[in-house]
Amino acid sequence: MPFDDPAISVRNLTKTYRLFGHAGDRVKQFLTFGVKRFHREFTALKDLSFDINKGEAVGIIGRNGSGKSTLLQLICGILKPTSGTVQTHRRISALLELGAGFNPEFTGRENVYFQGALMGFTRIDMEARFDDIAAFAEIGEFIDQPVRTYSSGMFVRLAFAAMIHADADILVIDEALAVGDEAFQRKCFSKLLDYLDGNEKILLFVSHNIRQVERICSRAIWLEDGRVVQQGPAREICAAYQDRIHQQVQDTHERSKLRPTFVDSGEVDVIRLQLFKGADEEPVDEIEIHTAVKVVIDFRCHSRLIAPDIIVGFHTTDSVFIAAASTAILPMQPDFPAGDHRVEVRVADLILLPGVYQMRLGFLDRHLRTMWSGHKLSTFRVTAPARSDVIRLPPGLVDMQFEWVFALPEGKQ
Amino acid sequence: MTNSKHWFAQRYLLGQLIKRDVLLRYRGAMFGVAWVFINPLIMLCIYAYVFGHIFQARWPQQGNGAPFWLVLYSGLIAFNIFSDTVSRAPTAVKNYPNFVKKIIFPVEILPLVPLGAAIVHGVFNILILLGALAWTGLLNSHVALYPIMLAPIVLFALGISWFLAAWGVFIKDMSQIVPPFVQMAMFLSPVLYPASAVPEAIRAFYSYNPLGAVIEACRAAALGQSINWSSWSGALVLSIIITGLGLAFFRHNREEFADAL
Repeated sequence: MPFDDPAISVRNLTKTYRLFGHAGDRVKQFLTFGVKRFHREFTALKDLSFDINKGEAVGIIGRNGSGKSTLLQLICGILKPTSGTVQTHRRISALLELGAGFNPEFTGRENVYFQGALMGFTRIDMEARFDDIAAFAEIGEFIDQPVRTYSSGMFVRLAFAAMIHADADILVIDEALAVGDEAFQRKCFSKLLDYLDGNEKILLFVSHNIRQVERICSRAIWLEDGRVVQQGPAREICAAYQDRIHQQVQDTHERSKLRPTFVDSGEVDVIRLQLFKGADEEPVDEIEIHTAVKVVIDFRCHSRLIAPDIIVGFHTTDSVFIAAASTAILPMQPDFPAGDHRVEVRVADLILLPGVYQMRLGFLDRHLRTMWSGHKLSTFRVTAPARSDVIRLPPGLVDMQFEWVFALPEGKQ
Repeated sequence: MTNSKHWFAQRYLLGQLIKRDVLLRYRGAMFGVAWVFINPLIMLCIYAYVFGHIFQARWPQQGNGAPFWLVLYSGLIAFNIFSDTVSRAPTAVKNYPNFVKKIIFPVEILPLVPLGAAIVHGVFNILILLGALAWTGLLNSHVALYPIMLAPIVLFALGISWFLAAWGVFIKDMSQIVPPFVQMAMFLSPVLYPASAVPEAIRAFYSYNPLGAVIEACRAAALGQSINWSSWSGALVLSIIITGLGLAFFRHNREEFADAL
């Protein structure tokens, strides 16, 4: 029916948040009748326009902070737009958080009835649905126990069951399906597909799981920094989005991945090897002798590393090895699951004498096979103390602490 | 949006919220909901003992020989509806962030929940009052007016609640600020003394503010004395205005709630 009004119509939608630094600032703003500004502004959505028609399942994708949740809240009428309009012509049921209306002190049954009341159902309406909800949630006897005694899985199952049986025209789901076990997720999905099937319902679905979006949604809207990057058939948009994400990951990878000079088995990628002074936030490449420093290693492993040896060492620019720290001396060497990791090596007193040094780094597996190894990695300069006229530094590489003792030969006093 | 305009249509939901609020207070307690009765009874006993026996207090123009504790109790019921509501108002919205941010919900009805709970408790108080009146042989047909007399104080409490609930969202200190003021209101209102005992100069203030007028009117109704209708209706008009302003203020600030919580 091409002449139907769209079920949801968003026009030039902009949302700006007022951020108050301190609770009192809001009072000040109020007392000065808004003449003086005590807040910063943050624009979460900028000039969005789109329509959603009946029967559509629309996925909203984008990275964290791209404005997805704000958009859903605006569509639901929970937030008011700063400018622009959102028009919805039908009854919305929002699940921005599973079990948001549940009170832990009440039983599952009481909470389901209350959730019904929140969605505008009377007791009689709910009585007709209750058995379906309880059956779908599969929590058995627990339905008459306080919700606080539920496991998180039971809680989610009951909350989803209560929501999906509310029979709303527009269903809004924000990241809610990331929980629950595999079997229940599958059940939820088939229920969602039933919900969409044939009738003229609308689903708005936010998920970071692109595969879920591809599977359920017919259309997708890709948001970035509060703007629509692209919208269209879910499959195309999801593919484009995934390409972009991959590209971004690749870019940061290329820029910062350190090139090992000896061995690279491909199991470990070292992203950064940096030197920090004390507890400073910013890495340094120049540091004074006798200060506390730490070496921070950011690396990524593609499969689980079991008790690897990590070796960090210092050497001169002409490859004279001076000192090294190894996890091999630890009584228990930690394992690293696949993913990104950060390891720090702290040095209480950097005794390298003024000059230019470099770092080397190695990853060995528990059978002492080298997975990654390189040297000449990070170059840094050690400087003399500001009052070097007072302390004369000896030549050499390290400022080792010596103690002189002058004693007369025995028997001669 | 359309939901919030018709919050009257949400009365089933409101009923559920009030029910939950009252039940939650007594859930898990050994005597359970019986506390709704026990609490005011204990309070009544204390007043009877302290004022009847220790202070031997007498009301200045006490016509029909009602004991002081009964006179006190008949006014206190009205004041308690106000104080129970208003002292909980600052957290009425603040304590339900999920209702503001996560679900489509007519937030305006949240301040009605403490009011509803206070009225439920008030009803039990009135039942005890009726019992006490019957027991002392002072029961009269005027008492039927008692619930109607409460109208201005209910509206007044609601109006104030809408203000405080909105402020409470933004300013955490509200829940600390309000209780001492409620305490102060108790001593400034003619609960422990009749309005006729105050100096002539400020008498008008006592007769036309919703608290004073309603407490006086309630007491008159309970004890079968003549009600000062002019001050009562003045208070009613004032209460309606305050309720309207409170709702307007609440609605004006409502869109910022989700950002502040």
